[in-house]
Amino acid sequence: MEAEIGKTAKYLRDKQGIPEKAKENLKEFVRIKKALIDALKNGEMTIPQLSEKLSMSKEDVTFYLMTLIKYGDVAVGEIDDNDEYFTYKLNK
Amino acid sequence: MEERRKKIEFDALVIGAGIAGGETALNIANNGYKVLLVEKDHSIGGKMILLSKVFPTLDCAACITTPKVSEIARHPNITVFTESEVTSIVKKTESLFIAKITKNPRYVHVEDCTACQLCEKACPVSVRDEYQFGLVGRKAAYIPFSIANPKAAVIDLEQCTLCGACERVCPTHCIDFTMETECFELQVKTVVLATGFQLFDPLKIPRFGYGKYKNVVTSMQMEREIAPTRPYHTILRPGDGKIPDQIAYVLCTGSRDDSVGNPVCSQVCCMYSMKQAQLLMGALPMADITIYYIDIRSFGKGFEEFYQQAKDMGVNFVKGKIGKISEKENGNLILRYEDIQEGIVKEAEHDMVVLSVGMLSNQSVHQIFDGEMLQFDSLNFIWQSDLLGSPAKTNIDGVFVAGTASGPMDIPDSILSAGSASSEAISYLIQH
Repeated sequence: MEAEIGKTAKYLRDKQGIPEKAKENLKEFVRIKKALIDALKNGEMTIPQLSEKLSMSKEDVTFYLMTLIKYGDVAVGEIDDNDEYFTYKLNK
Repeated sequence: MEERRKKIEFDALVIGAGIAGGETALNIANNGYKVLLVEKDHSIGGKMILLSKVFPTLDCAACITTPKVSEIARHPNITVFTESEVTSIVKKTESLFIAKITKNPRYVHVEDCTACQLCEKACPVSVRDEYQFGLVGRKAAYIPFSIANPKAAVIDLEQCTLCGACERVCPTHCIDFTMETECFELQVKTVVLATGFQLFDPLKIPRFGYGKYKNVVTSMQMEREIAPTRPYHTILRPGDGKIPDQIAYVLCTGSRDDSVGNPVCSQVCCMYSMKQAQLLMGALPMADITIYYIDIRSFGKGFEEFYQQAKDMGVNFVKGKIGKISEKENGNLILRYEDIQEGIVKEAEHDMVVLSVGMLSNQSVHQIFDGEMLQFDSLNFIWQSDLLGSPAKTNIDGVFVAGTASGPMDIPDSILSAGSASSEAISYLIQH
């Protein structure tokens, strides 16, 4: 089977299928990204506040939030009065 | 497979494109010899290209490495194979080695990629970024890191959902999922092994809590946190995103410790910890940094002055051996240690702990020689058959070693070692 330029992903998908691990990982990321973005729609929040609101570990919130900053979905807000935690907001 | 193996010929094969392998390749190539530089990773530059600054000068590591990797990549006498591994080497005659090389597909035609990152933006997948030591995510279609060389996208096929989004946005159509593994048979006259080292895995010391307590990190993770291309917007605890202000360093993690199979000093941990401490004090002026040590080994040129400078800046040095680290509910860490000077057990609280992990041998070349048996020392580093007279020589005539493949050493010593290996290899090429 010849693969057309610009459509080689389809060629490989038809040939070997999609790895189960990759599908599961994508689902998980999409779910967490949506939860974080929905939570931030109501205003700026710190990592402990997001953790409490979403019942998600602070470590996971930190990891995914920093990833969303890297991808340009989230921006850094202000630091709190104790100079401990930043707030985070949606990047408009 | 054998019929499809492409035959290629060079004067010298250098395995490993870190700072030692790169320097060796440059020196040999500058003398008119054709060099094949083989690297298993997606970029040349090794571990040095990922560092923030170097000790004791506090020069920017990337500013030193980037021009060098650029010179390597553009040199007319150097051919670079990334994503590649040497699977076997046979010595046929005094001036002929036959090496088999496997080049794994990148799924991107590097020469056509403009590193525009549109594929990265389009990719919906996110996984942990190994170049940021798991502190942040990256896409399945991604540029390895901002100063990678070659600076071109790569597809992580294991994590890719083959949605084709990257291909649809690529303006140069350089993404190609039909790429396959290529096999080469190389004829070469001399070989230099510059396969570097592996960092000690702190999971081997469960009492330090690495992996379990999220605010216990390795020195390479902290190195990334203080680098300009850091994973976070500032220095934060990975456990909860708090700005740390009581940071502890645990020296000799996996070094000088028979219980983990590495009884020797890694030679760099004291100095890189002091470097990081000084950089942290610049980035977090209110932070207290404590270094727990057994002995401070500041033996190189300018190292003792660097140690004094760290003390003068306010870094707290405690001669103490850590027994156990435990975690409080707020993510802070309790270090239980023996105060060696007072001879008593004490406890101290910190909000972040950095494990200064040591250097171990990289055993990737242990099995590649067929016929001849490459020898190793008791710690599995490549054995130098004439350490004082000809330090780059291995036990196989025509095979040389450069950098940390022969033992722990810092960057200046790695470059010196590369000078020695390239001189020996050039001399061998002239004689044969």
